[in-house]
Amino acid sequence: MSFRLHRPTPFFLRLVTILLLAVAILLPPTSGASNIPPKSPDYPQGVSSINPGSDLWREVRQRDGLIVDGISQVKGVETGVLINVRGDQWARFRINEVTKTVSYALVGVFGILVLVFVLRGKVGIKGGRSGRVVRRFTDYERIVHWTLTIVFLFLAITGLILLLGRPLLLPLFGKEVFALFASASKEGHNLFGPLFLVSLLMMLFSFTRHNIYEKGDLGWLLKLGGLIGDGHPSVGFFNMGEKFWYWIVILIGLVVSISGLILVSPNFGQGRVIMEISHLVHVIGALVLMLGSLGHMYMGTIGIEGALQGMTSGYVDTNWADAHHDRWSRECQQKGLTLSADEFARLRGETPAADAEVAAQERAK
Amino acid sequence: MIEYLIDGPLWHLSLAVFGIGVVWKLGSIVFASRRQDLSVARAAAGPAAFKTVFSRFIPHKEISSQIVIPLVAGYMFHLGLFALLFFAVPHVSFLEQNLLGFGWTPMPHWAFIVSAQLAFLGLIILWLRRMTNPVSRLISTLDDHVVAILTFVVMLTGCFALLEGATALRLLHRFTVELWLIYFPFSALMHTFTFIPSRAFTGAWFGRRGIDA
Repeated sequence: MSFRLHRPTPFFLRLVTILLLAVAILLPPTSGASNIPPKSPDYPQGVSSINPGSDLWREVRQRDGLIVDGISQVKGVETGVLINVRGDQWARFRINEVTKTVSYALVGVFGILVLVFVLRGKVGIKGGRSGRVVRRFTDYERIVHWTLTIVFLFLAITGLILLLGRPLLLPLFGKEVFALFASASKEGHNLFGPLFLVSLLMMLFSFTRHNIYEKGDLGWLLKLGGLIGDGHPSVGFFNMGEKFWYWIVILIGLVVSISGLILVSPNFGQGRVIMEISHLVHVIGALVLMLGSLGHMYMGTIGIEGALQGMTSGYVDTNWADAHHDRWSRECQQKGLTLSADEFARLRGETPAADAEVAAQERAK
Repeated sequence: MIEYLIDGPLWHLSLAVFGIGVVWKLGSIVFASRRQDLSVARAAAGPAAFKTVFSRFIPHKEISSQIVIPLVAGYMFHLGLFALLFFAVPHVSFLEQNLLGFGWTPMPHWAFIVSAQLAFLGLIILWLRRMTNPVSRLISTLDDHVVAILTFVVMLTGCFALLEGATALRLLHRFTVELWLIYFPFSALMHTFTFIPSRAFTGAWFGRRGIDA
């Protein structure tokens, strides 16, 4: 950005400088009393003068805490401010405070999950797998979920490179390689950002019907999903924890998306303060989503047996459904929506166990 | 050394494999021996062939409600990729300086970004649909997945090199493009050229028998 300060003009500035120098030389020493060392018999008197540009630079550097708006031919937000000290303060805050907080939070939650896994291990299916399955998610719902997952993971990785790359990657790879990482991450993050908003809206339209509050949800919450009291609370398609997570994703996701759009489009008149607030909101929102996602991924993969199958194949074992979503499972079984293991295998294009057995018997004959 | 290899010999090799491979494949289709159709023609084959090339852009009413996702995502991806390939500023100038000797007006930056986003989202959804839909999953081959992933990687490296400031990122993009070009004739990517003769053949075959295909 080119910048020209018009008050005072360069010519006028030079003139003033010369005049000030002349006055400073001609004036008696008392006019600069504050800069003269204290009189002392051991301290010889020297010639001193005030820096003629000190007032100008005091204003430019905003030493008095006031932002002095100059005049510039460049028309735009804050183009009249030669040096914005708040920018330096923000940069230091981002480098020192934000990066540290994000790092500690991520490492802390990851550590907690490792601890939970060590202490509790994988939660198995009560009674083992029944072999019968019930459809949990449609193809479209799974496409929406995985689209959001892919876009979110890409944004999380590139975002973390942008935020934590300087303290973490720069010492490891050096300046040149880190510059490549940072440049690629910035472009990728900016390009994929709007896709997150689109995926989020797709999720809003396809999953909301399962995530409306219903009778029994409060009971689940009061029992903390079965941690307090006896037995697992009765649950429909989603439990209150899952609904809570869903609305966090939607609402915080929208906040992250909007703040991201503000950041990626700085030419709509937003000033430095709005950009800084957006940046902070973006980082905090993204951090909440990343921390929640760690827990979500843990529960969906190594934390609870049989949960991931719902999102990979679309079907879950009926015993899993009975244990975690009993009301929904009963409804499905009453409607006869379950499939046998062989039917499920055929649906997946695999050879059912029964067919394999028949084939083996025929071969034996 | 790597820069010389990617910008020089590998680029020419990939172009040669692509060009010769595509011509060879199309030639083998056009000149393949076919049984003579001895049936009495009930209608002209030519107009039916021409009509089918275009009518296939819109799905039949009977199935349109079941293929909304691949239809929308397919158009998003293909139109986005077409716009990127032929109207992105760096591509237009590359084609002008290295291949054609002439250029055309590229699209503005905002259109470039929107095209890239459409192409990315379309490709992701198409690949996920291939993985989640039982029928698509069954009929998909390894080549289909390789094609999707390779195309995604080419687009992604292009997105990384958007700033055009780092030589390494440009080389990475060009290297993936070269791999893509080499793989092209041996893969499902050939549908870029074969979809027109394929549709025309189907239209002609049915049209000759008086069937509105």
